[in-house]
Amino acid sequence: MKLWTLAASTLESFLHNRLIVVLLLVGIGIILMMMIPLLGARAKITGSNQAMMESVVLEAISEVVSFMSGLGSLLAAWAATDSLVSELKAGTVLAVMARPVKRWEFLLGKYAGVLLLMAGYAAMMIGVTYLLAWLGGQHIHANPLVLFAYPLVRYAIYAAMAMLLATVFGSVMSMVCVMGIAIVNLMVQPGAPEWKPKLMWLKAGLYYVLPSTNLLSEERFLSLRQAALKPTTWMEHGTSLLYGLDYALVILLLAMWSFQARTLRRD
Amino acid sequence: MTTAAIEFREVTKVYRQRWRGLEVPALTKASFSVGPGEVCAFLGPNGAGKTTSINLLMGFFFADFGEIRVMGYPPGDIRAKAQIGFLPENFAFYKYLNAERLLRFHYALAGGQAAAAEPLIADLLAKVKLTEYRKLKIGKYSRGMVQRVGLAQALLKDPQLLVLDEPTSGLDPTGRKDVRELISGLKTAGKSIFLSSHLLSEVEQVCDRVIIISKGRVVESGKMEELLGNSDRVEILVTSLPEEMRVRVTEWGGSVAAGEHGVSVVVDLGHKREFAEAVWAAGHDVLRIRPLRGSLEELYLKTVGNESGVA
Repeated sequence: MKLWTLAASTLESFLHNRLIVVLLLVGIGIILMMMIPLLGARAKITGSNQAMMESVVLEAISEVVSFMSGLGSLLAAWAATDSLVSELKAGTVLAVMARPVKRWEFLLGKYAGVLLLMAGYAAMMIGVTYLLAWLGGQHIHANPLVLFAYPLVRYAIYAAMAMLLATVFGSVMSMVCVMGIAIVNLMVQPGAPEWKPKLMWLKAGLYYVLPSTNLLSEERFLSLRQAALKPTTWMEHGTSLLYGLDYALVILLLAMWSFQARTLRRD
Repeated sequence: MTTAAIEFREVTKVYRQRWRGLEVPALTKASFSVGPGEVCAFLGPNGAGKTTSINLLMGFFFADFGEIRVMGYPPGDIRAKAQIGFLPENFAFYKYLNAERLLRFHYALAGGQAAAAEPLIADLLAKVKLTEYRKLKIGKYSRGMVQRVGLAQALLKDPQLLVLDEPTSGLDPTGRKDVRELISGLKTAGKSIFLSSHLLSEVEQVCDRVIIISKGRVVESGKMEELLGNSDRVEILVTSLPEEMRVRVTEWGGSVAAGEHGVSVVVDLGHKREFAEAVWAAGHDVLRIRPLRGSLEELYLKTVGNESGVA
């Protein structure tokens, strides 16, 4: 009950958070703008250029989905940071923590609120993906549940990471660190540019320590043609998602441990 | 043996800035206790360690040394917190909530059942005179109204111990009187109250015990009557005093001083009635009789001197 109360209040605070609302509105605006070339390309499809224009349509859809996915990670990290930092900054944490609420319950409630927000975002993302595919005259063969679960798990990792950092730093520093981690992560994933041989040990180490966002990318399953879709069993999905959830859980436990020892005051 | 509501034993807290190598002692071997049902004033200049002590007892900060018990439990223990109503200094709130929703939120966090919340919330809002504004977003409240809603949230779930940090801050004289009456009512109901305030005259009216802290050390602690002196002498203000009465007062070991509003006479408690009746019999009037004891302000100034931040 307490967890739900905290989660619902966190979610409500996001809906009153101007920065998050602006971030969402900017995202929607950019999506609408990105739809212009998509619709243009579709309108230009004729018998002779069908194959070429279809690939343009597919490319446009893929770009929109990548953008939304990236924006989602940013939103998850920002929401998690803000949910904690704003409480400390305003001092509302004092009245809340004066209640019979354990520190880990408070943090978990906040985290659950972030996940509720991101679940809504992931659902909206699926809607946009299907809408774009329909507008582009294409059909998505991936299971919607897969398209929902993968980004959500990825967001759960980013949110946990941001929350851990927010127990120590302020919001800006936490966000800089999360973005730094995200960039380094991209640099160590398979397919990224090669590192100097002397630093290969570091790349290998970082690859194992940082979350595998490639593995947790829903874009792996966002094939628009049945023929290109690599068949994936539910067992494989389960293993990948469990990996992500386990990663998020470990980071969240670290955040709880860090928050346990933190002094609570109006920052 | 009854468990003390609050107990500090040799508590030390030092603020450290490791990267600068700075160490600022906030509390040094502070020891005091507040008994069940006592109303205790916690006084001191700004920066004396009052808010640090409150943060320690609420479990927001951690002491470096010493022991703290709140309602018999360590600070931050939810069994202790379940019995505490807390009003922080400059109560902060979710601006988008109205008073009703804020109280509902706190009631749920306190583990209350939703069904029981409504009548209690209505009652508390009436008590702090916010019924009319219960639907208005707290972001639009004046400072005094915010303080009132803060008090209402502190009273939720009928706490055994109230920790109030500057409860009358931002309130007008009527609001301060209301808070004083509220505290008196809670005192009658047997609640323990730990009250930090700069308004000494108000504190004096409601508190049983005083703890004065200065530069992180407890410099005075005890029951109000013990610290301010027993009232075995009274001051009687009369319109005027016949010469023979003046002589009698001197014989009793009392004193007479003429003032702007009349003649002030100090006599032993045992001579109070005899003196007053003699004054009346001589056709003069008694304007005021009050027990003669030191004021809290005098005690405070004597104890902490002219440190900056004196109320």
